[in-house]
Amino acid sequence: MTPGFAVVAPKAVQALQVLTIVVGAPLVSGVISHVEARLQGRRGPRILQPYYDLAKLFRKETLVTDESSWVFLAAPVVAFSCYLIVPLLIPVLTTYPLPLGYMGDILGGGFVLALGGFSVALAAAESGAPYAQLGASRAMTFGALVEPTILFVVFVVGLITSTDLPYALAGTVRSSSEIVRPGHVLAAVAFFLVVLVDTGRIPVETHTGTLELGMIDEARTLEHSGPALALLQWGSAMKQLVLYTILINVFVAPFGLSSNGAPGSVVGAIGALLGKAVLLGLVFAVIDNLFAKLRLYKIPEFLAAAFGIAVLAVVVFYVGPA
Amino acid sequence: MPVHVPSTTAGVEDVVAVLVLLTEFAMLRGPLLRSQVRLYAFQSLAVSVLAVVVAATRHLADIYALAGLSFVLKVVIVPAVMTRLLRDVDVDLAGSSKLGVASSMLVALAVSVFGFFAVGSLHVHSSLLPSTTLAVASAVVLVAFVLIVLRSDVVSQAMGFFSLENGVSIAGLVIAAGLPLVVETTFLFDLLVAVVAFGIIIRVHHGRSRTLSTDELDRLRG
Repeated sequence: MTPGFAVVAPKAVQALQVLTIVVGAPLVSGVISHVEARLQGRRGPRILQPYYDLAKLFRKETLVTDESSWVFLAAPVVAFSCYLIVPLLIPVLTTYPLPLGYMGDILGGGFVLALGGFSVALAAAESGAPYAQLGASRAMTFGALVEPTILFVVFVVGLITSTDLPYALAGTVRSSSEIVRPGHVLAAVAFFLVVLVDTGRIPVETHTGTLELGMIDEARTLEHSGPALALLQWGSAMKQLVLYTILINVFVAPFGLSSNGAPGSVVGAIGALLGKAVLLGLVFAVIDNLFAKLRLYKIPEFLAAAFGIAVLAVVVFYVGPA
Repeated sequence: MPVHVPSTTAGVEDVVAVLVLLTEFAMLRGPLLRSQVRLYAFQSLAVSVLAVVVAATRHLADIYALAGLSFVLKVVIVPAVMTRLLRDVDVDLAGSSKLGVASSMLVALAVSVFGFFAVGSLHVHSSLLPSTTLAVASAVVLVAFVLIVLRSDVVSQAMGFFSLENGVSIAGLVIAAGLPLVVETTFLFDLLVAVVAFGIIIRVHHGRSRTLSTDELDRLRG
């Protein structure tokens, strides 16, 4: 570390973490849907299309049914602010923890994400529309089934680092001699499957379809319009990027992050994160094209497989040879 | 609990071994016979990569030859032969498992936990023996047994047997990398014999009963 260079204030970096997620999320979604279309032989939407969509929705008016209460309108805002909070807790740009980084651990981040999902489900139930309620009920059911997997992944983090702080695990992965351990790999694979479920990707859900009966997450927002819908779509793009960030910067490849807060390294970290997220998105796009959607009643089997892998990860630590 | 930290080499071996184990689980789940064969090819590829890693880190030139041989045999030839056989018999779905998918996953999980526990309770501590990889290899062998026991069609059982050989290969590679090449090659030719035997079984069985299910064989009891 050379003395006398300018350092970006930790609070500014923290704000940048949130800003990166907010501004970068639609870009990552745009790249994924573009690549997905190209893989299917279509020309596909422009990479910046999600931004145009958001801008259009923000100019429109919000329509609310007579039966809906304030919950219907508050939910998009609550969900959006939940997804704003999580980037404060996870290593988005830096290897060192920022002032509010210890505000919550991995479980805390999980709770905040769950609160976002809960408020959207509440709004869907409030709308009174059958498809939105169907989606909300399914999302909650499968969310409950995903939860044990997440818990076991957190246990693995705890066993590796003796803490449950995302920064600590990322630090463990970076010190290269500890990078690869069977339990760690199994936990990363289990978390990969969780991301697949939580972002509504193909073995679980087609996110491009228009058939309401097959929808899970998508169906919940059917009744929203205008700025409220924009916030929900933006929020789900942010949730996707947050989950990608956790998978990349905590489990798989926490490289290219700023270690000293120098302006150049922070800018580099933003580029690195978006680049890695796009690469991961390409993996998801390829999976989208290779596999068929599972029948709804087969999804618990998929989740059971993810859970099994997570359990195995913990078991490897306890009964495996030390 | 003091957390043991493996060296990078041992770590890479562990990761490849874990990939093999995950493939074994996927084979247990795969409903199509073709996907079984593809998963086996991927699993064999991982084993070949492991052989290259072992050869590179322990400076054993003849293991490179073994890696090449196992790549040609297990990633190219065996899957090609099996695919050819499958094209002739015109059956797509694997025989139904005796348990549901979730239950068989649980059984496999319990069995692999037993494998880990068994190797862990040996209390063998040696800097030369990567006991984690050994534990994973034993789990692979046990899950392959589960696959053979639960699936009721000839092809799945054959693939289970071949992937069992993969598990044994991993154990052999990490425990006795210095074993003479002749011995290791003999294992591979054993596999070749098994392929021929299973090929004949598939042909004859399908020729007689127009199915690949082994349930038919029960009726042969005297």
